[in-house]
Amino acid sequence: MAQEETAKTNGGPLKAFYKFFTSFKLATIVLILMTIVTLFGTLAQVEKGLFAAKEIYFHSIWIVDKVGNFPVFLPGGGLLMVILFINMSLGAIVKVRKRWKGAGMLISHIGMLMLFAGAFVTWGLGTDGYMALYPGMKSDRVESYRKWQLEVMPLNEDATANEVWILPSDELSSIGYGEQRSYTTDELPFEITVSDYAPNAMPTPISAPVAASAEAREIDGFKLLPQQKAKEAAANIPGCYVDFKPKSAEGEEIGAILSAYSFRFDPGEKPMPFVFEYDGQKYGALLAKKSWHVPFEVQLDEFIFDRHPGISMARNYESRVTRLETDKEEKPLEIKMNEPMRYAGYTFFQESFGPAGSQPGDRMYSQFAVANNPADQWPLWSLVVTTIGLGIHFVIMLVDFIVRSRKQRTQAAS
Amino acid sequence: MKLKLALLLPLIAGITGLASAREVPQVDLESYEPWDPQIVETFENLLMQESGRVKPVYSYSRFTLLQFSGKTSLSFGTKDGVTHKLHYSEWMLDVLFRGDVAKSLPVFVVDDSAAIVQIGVSPKAKRDRYSYSEIVEGRSKLAELSAQYAEKQRKYLDSEKDRQYELGRIEGMILTLGRNISAFEYLVGQFSFARKGELLVNENILPQEMVQLAATLDPVEMMDRMPEMSMQQLMQAIQQPDNGSEDARMFTSALRLFFFYANSARGLNLIPPQEADNEVWLSASDAMLTGLESKEARPWAIEQLKGVQALVQASTQDTETFNAALIEFSDNQRAQAEARGEGKHASLEVQLYRGKYFTNALVMFILGFIIMAISWFSPGSKFGRIMLLIAGIFAAIGLILDIYGITLRSIIRDRPPITNLYDTVIFITGTAVLLGLLIEYFTRLGVGTLIAIVSGMLGMFLSIKYEAKEATDTITQLVAVLDTNFWLATHVTIINIGYAAGLVSALIGMLYLGGRFILNLAGNDAKDFFKLLTRMNYGVVCFCLFFSLVGTVLGGIWANYSWGRFWGWDPKENGALMICLWTLVMLHGRMAGWIRDLGIHMNGIMLGIIVTFSWWGVNNLEVGLHSYGFTEGVMPALYKSWGIMGIFILMGIWLFIDERGKKAAKKAEREAKKVETQPDPA
Repeated sequence: MAQEETAKTNGGPLKAFYKFFTSFKLATIVLILMTIVTLFGTLAQVEKGLFAAKEIYFHSIWIVDKVGNFPVFLPGGGLLMVILFINMSLGAIVKVRKRWKGAGMLISHIGMLMLFAGAFVTWGLGTDGYMALYPGMKSDRVESYRKWQLEVMPLNEDATANEVWILPSDELSSIGYGEQRSYTTDELPFEITVSDYAPNAMPTPISAPVAASAEAREIDGFKLLPQQKAKEAAANIPGCYVDFKPKSAEGEEIGAILSAYSFRFDPGEKPMPFVFEYDGQKYGALLAKKSWHVPFEVQLDEFIFDRHPGISMARNYESRVTRLETDKEEKPLEIKMNEPMRYAGYTFFQESFGPAGSQPGDRMYSQFAVANNPADQWPLWSLVVTTIGLGIHFVIMLVDFIVRSRKQRTQAAS
Repeated sequence: MKLKLALLLPLIAGITGLASAREVPQVDLESYEPWDPQIVETFENLLMQESGRVKPVYSYSRFTLLQFSGKTSLSFGTKDGVTHKLHYSEWMLDVLFRGDVAKSLPVFVVDDSAAIVQIGVSPKAKRDRYSYSEIVEGRSKLAELSAQYAEKQRKYLDSEKDRQYELGRIEGMILTLGRNISAFEYLVGQFSFARKGELLVNENILPQEMVQLAATLDPVEMMDRMPEMSMQQLMQAIQQPDNGSEDARMFTSALRLFFFYANSARGLNLIPPQEADNEVWLSASDAMLTGLESKEARPWAIEQLKGVQALVQASTQDTETFNAALIEFSDNQRAQAEARGEGKHASLEVQLYRGKYFTNALVMFILGFIIMAISWFSPGSKFGRIMLLIAGIFAAIGLILDIYGITLRSIIRDRPPITNLYDTVIFITGTAVLLGLLIEYFTRLGVGTLIAIVSGMLGMFLSIKYEAKEATDTITQLVAVLDTNFWLATHVTIINIGYAAGLVSALIGMLYLGGRFILNLAGNDAKDFFKLLTRMNYGVVCFCLFFSLVGTVLGGIWANYSWGRFWGWDPKENGALMICLWTLVMLHGRMAGWIRDLGIHMNGIMLGIIVTFSWWGVNNLEVGLHSYGFTEGVMPALYKSWGIMGIFILMGIWLFIDERGKKAAKKAEREAKKVETQPDPA
């Protein structure tokens, strides 16, 4: 931050802009607002859960919300961070008077800017998902925690599919309950109409009183009833109605309720798509988690799970894996808490295990968080730079304080 | 001076007198025979496994009594007019070996007599302690209500805390009492299998013929002659209806009794396992079932159980015999544990609790405070300076005791100083005291000593209160993610140093505002002193920023290694961020000219509020990945602390308004003078 604000105001709008964005006052206001936003964003997590609160408070331009009965109207965390980044860049790096006494501050601000830059890169380019494997299984497929997509596929005789038509998750989730959108593709002989997408929904038999009285479309004795969103976004089970209308005049329109319940919850299970037949060809439709592939396979050889003696608390869980890559030697590795595997831009973390309620001796799967973050190590470098900067600055200040105190004491004594 | 001392001394005497004048509860015992000190010492050094680690019975006894009673000692009077004070080890000896005596001792604390009324027992005072014998008449009602409230609590947790399932205050008390009574029954009935019919608890649930059988049947000898049976087979056998034959009926009764004994003997894991690769210690119950299940393991199981039987039988004889049996049991147990590499720090743990380092540190800080208060009667004089120095020495002794206790705890668990919330209290207290003493070293004004003493008193008091509230072992095992000494030693330690600095800043702020407020009322003005306090606080804020920022970023880097992301806006992360942000607000606000002397101190107090929110408040939210730090029931205390700090901020606002008013008046006066001195144009 600039040591002194000496800019004159009589330099036109550009200079006024420069003065505004380099001022300590702006920095102070933004920091106060950041503190308030952080406080409300923290309290909001109790009611809304982490993911929703994060989106509303920290990844936003404006915040219009309620915490309990308290209305919150504030600039969003995203906006504040951008302003602070500009303020720091211009005020603390460009405008600041360069002198030895201020070297520590200059260095520490450079460190903080690196941290911010890392945050922006992660936000813009980073991906995260998970891979769950039972011992003996291998995969290169990473699945999203929260994003669901619609998959429609012609099925082979053995119920496998060679090609899949995908309605991407962003498009799917933008279809609100009460709305509908139609899609056509050359690969499929029917038009697909998706309606009433709900991020958390339950197909309910009409024999249940709650379904009988609900105003919702009924298919095969079931209605899709939207549910309150779970606090943990990953726990939501989305659902929607899908209609398949033949492009030709012949053939019947087929309607179905698709629920994410049909997708597997355990890596050992297989998804159960809605299967229908058109013109002698079987098709499957499914709500599946968005997924992508990493450029190598990971095979789980052994999952080790230890509890502290006599109690249920996990002491350690680790996975012995083999990394498999075409034209490369197989690489046996260990992935455990605090010791991830970093390779080819991807990082595999030992995240959790399952199924829930497993006891020692049960067959268990291991779940890895898989992140791809170009700015993975930037915080570490930023920390080193910031610590050096702050260290230099505060040592100078401490010496100054001690010298002054001694002088004052000497004066008082005399 | 003498007059002031004369006023102070009766006050201290009055306070101590009040403390000792509390009425000691009378129990329904003719007399009480204390345990021989030798027996107590041998007993408390016995080993057991609990909460995932091997520890001395001493620790277990301490936290069990704390859980039941809210205290670590027990006072009562007997009918012979004698007053007794029991240490927790003595009480545990009574529970395990003299159950009838233990049942008469008032150990179960009930905070509101309404809970007692609900289970159909005659209440005593509003908050009082009851013996098992007093509670037992409402035992069935207590069991019924406890089960009902336990189910309600389960629903509350399963429903992501749906308010309709939240336990009321009295319901919570009944549930706790029910659990404590049940735990007590298990302890008292622990060695029933070795007592030949002296069942002590729950005898009314057994049919008469089984009670008679218990007087003659030795379950250990019975096991020796039994066929191999799994737990499931045993359950099936005892549930089979009698087929009429006397032998079959006797056999089923014997099996039922065996099951009853095995069930009663659960929980107290005193027996190291036979296999070297098995880490789980066994209770007498486990040994009985292991022996029943496998003929191969049976000789070993019988040997272990006979060891316990010998101990129990010796407890009914003279002191020497019991002590000899205890020593034999202990030596055998220690030899096995040593061979397994377990319990190596058990003696150190006994030393930790026996030394009462944190309580003694509190005493030192209180004495330091009293001496410091005496120094205020003659500030600046030679006497005052000597008193100040002595107060500083007491603070330093308190700090040494705190550090010694922390060091012992670190050695016992082979970990850095902080692994749980309790550790943060004693660590932050030590850091704040050290900061205070360092400030004193540099400034020699008495302010640093005062900060050290006040931090020490508050912190040690908090550690004692928190330990009593939680009433569980504070040397805990770590969840998998915390199993890293590197990150515990760096991130956790550094961030807590930052917390300590934030709290010291708040204390300096309160001292400044309180001092200026009082002196302002008295019309005094000690500008230089207050200027120095401001510089002091500014330095502490910078110190806080350095450690909070480095600690927070280190935490992010750790999270990037363990959870796969640097920052997740988790409440604990946000708390640390808020501390960094507020220190930056203070420093930038000062550079902007918005924050001056008063502002530094008012914001320092605000920083203290944010630190307490980050330290305790976010744990109470029970959201996020830092689940190992969750706690509950701390909000009332937190609100009180924020209320107190808020009062000081109000003082600051009043001072600010007053200051502005005075400045405006001076300005008006100057301008009026200017007008007067200007020549009249006319």
